Amino acid sequence: MANDPIHQFQIHKIIPIENVGGLDLSFTNVSLFMVATVAIAAGFLYLTTANRGLVPSRMQSVSEMAYEFTASMLRDAAGTQGMRFFPFVFSIFMFVLVANLMGMFPYFFTVTSSIIVTFSLAILVIGTVIVYGFMKHGLKFLGLFVPEGVPGVLMPLVVMIEVISFFSRPVSLSVRLFANMLAGHITLKVFAGFVVSLSTLGALGIGGAILPLLMTIALTGLEFLVAFLQAYVFAVLTCMYINDALHPGH
Amino acid sequence: MDGGAGFAYALRLSSEFIAGVLVGAGIGYLIDRIVGTSPWGMIVFLLLGFVAGILNVLRSAGHLAEPEAKIGPGAKPGDNKE
Repeated sequence: MANDPIHQFQIHKIIPIENVGGLDLSFTNVSLFMVATVAIAAGFLYLTTANRGLVPSRMQSVSEMAYEFTASMLRDAAGTQGMRFFPFVFSIFMFVLVANLMGMFPYFFTVTSSIIVTFSLAILVIGTVIVYGFMKHGLKFLGLFVPEGVPGVLMPLVVMIEVISFFSRPVSLSVRLFANMLAGHITLKVFAGFVVSLSTLGALGIGGAILPLLMTIALTGLEFLVAFLQAYVFAVLTCMYINDALHPGH
Repeated sequence: MDGGAGFAYALRLSSEFIAGVLVGAGIGYLIDRIVGTSPWGMIVFLLLGFVAGILNVLRSAGHLAEPEAKIGPGAKPGDNKE
């Protein structure tokens, strides 16, 4: 078990609630860590801004930085009109960021390494875009799929390709986050496994084990970067898709 | 480590491409299931999926403008966006 790099992604039921209308609604370790993610993110933001001062304390400025960062990201991508989606984008950003960072604790489950979690988030984003786009623009929203200056003969083909391209967004959005987290954590575990296996080989092995150990340390640093970067990418793409809903092409 | 940024870029582009192919194949499969045109829907939409995947990659690499970039604020055609 100690050397199995996949073991960390196993899902087990904590409170089995089976067969609710044919669905398995068990409370699993994934659910537990999602609840923990929400609790930590909300708790951190609430506590650090509870007694706020004009001159922010250290923790308060972390919260304010997160706010400013997301706000400027959304404003750049979708304009001031996009700010009505700020709570949505900020929640998604904080959820993914905290979930990624929590995955860096040993023995913790990384919820963003389950494709169903990231896919649900992506469907939520694209669903919001579609519903809001149709609400605001009606059928003009479909203009998103009709590029300008295309000859009439090619139009059906081009529209079809644009439609597929649009529906591939939630897939690529979720696959990217999931693949990054999964690959990173497996790599980390494999290199850490080398340390253990090599050090059982006697004195020479212990000497050789230093190399994968250094690699593990470097990878841990890299994983922290990836955790932040992927949360950022997810949020930026959310902003861009929201921009589509606000301003679809002609 | 410099490998991190390149790795992230590679994953980004490949996920864009794979997503296009997967969605194309999925739509083709659904059409075949509903209309019963097997295997033609799958063939046609898998090919269209490849095209959409390439389009996604080019867009994500900044070689093509986003279709909506013409009027979106703060976005110019050819912007290399995350």
